[in-house]
Amino acid sequence: MSTAMNFGSKSFQPRPPDKGSFPLDHFGECRSFKEKFMKCLRDNKFENALCRKESKAYLECRMERQLMAQEPLEKLGFGDLIDGKPEKN
Amino acid sequence: MGGLWRGAWRRVAFCGWRWSHPGSPTKVAESAEPFLRPGRSGTGSANRGLRRLGTWRRPNPGPDLALQPPRRPKSTNPFTRAQEEDWRRRNKTVLTYVAAAAVGMLGASYAAVPLYRLYCQTTGLGGSAVAGHASDQIENMVPVKDRIIKVTFNADVHASLQWNFRPQQTEIYVVPGETALAFYKAKNPTDKPVIGISTYNVVPFEAGQYFNKIQCFCFEEQRLNPQEEVDMPVFFYIDPEFAEDPRMVNVDLITLSYTFFEAKEGQQLPVPGYN
Repeated sequence: MSTAMNFGSKSFQPRPPDKGSFPLDHFGECRSFKEKFMKCLRDNKFENALCRKESKAYLECRMERQLMAQEPLEKLGFGDLIDGKPEKN
Repeated sequence: MGGLWRGAWRRVAFCGWRWSHPGSPTKVAESAEPFLRPGRSGTGSANRGLRRLGTWRRPNPGPDLALQPPRRPKSTNPFTRAQEEDWRRRNKTVLTYVAAAAVGMLGASYAAVPLYRLYCQTTGLGGSAVAGHASDQIENMVPVKDRIIKVTFNADVHASLQWNFRPQQTEIYVVPGETALAFYKAKNPTDKPVIGISTYNVVPFEAGQYFNKIQCFCFEEQRLNPQEEVDMPVFFYIDPEFAEDPRMVNVDLITLSYTFFEAKEGQQLPVPGYN
């Protein structure tokens, strides 16, 4: 939804998320996982590839507490982390 | 012009005499009288019964010349007249068909909008150049490790919404094909519960079609209680085809921007699905 009024250029088309919206974590149940993830990001200069284990842990926390629909982790792109050996991408 | 007028007179008298001839009890003058006023269609006139003798008026020539009754055949020969009637009938049919086609086209142009939406829904294209992404794609996608993209985050609120809304990281480095998690934080400093709804924007626009959100917090009402602070995650990935697009060769920075608006109770905001 861009407000650019020029017809020549392409405008941005927002798309709904594939799996919908995250329910809000009102009680902060997964806050500790989030803090771990943020700390990992800050330590690794915000490289996502090095903190995927923590993001996987956060999403697993959400799934356990009904804050996210249960999905097999492969479908969330964590196929390489399932065996427990994190690959350094 | 005068010559034409005299011809009309002659025709009028002749026709009037002929039509009144077969057994009609009306006087010739009475039946001929409507024809003396060529502005009306003589035989079909409903006011005929109200005509009275002695109300003859000399019809004025000028404008009546242009108002010839449309049904009057141009020739008096019965064979050619029949042919003319036939042509006229055919012309009428053709005209009806053409008019129907024109109306049909107009209707089709109005119907095109919902029909196109239906088509987009069934084929799942949704107006975007890239076809819909299935979750199998996420499963099978291979990260393109040599292409590092910096994603920066921006947060805005509408003026009427009093939340404190900000990203929890300024940037994150991802590669296409790798799923990533990012957090925003929102706090409601007021004493009343507030419902917000957000939308997002990705610049550059062309890169926006490769930016796929698996799950986020946009387009749905999010309610914050008084003094509540929540983490809002965004789980996204950049399509691996990004690395193969020649237009994206120089794109190293993508900015994801979220804007929160206040939602009134029961207000239904349009969810993008057709645009």
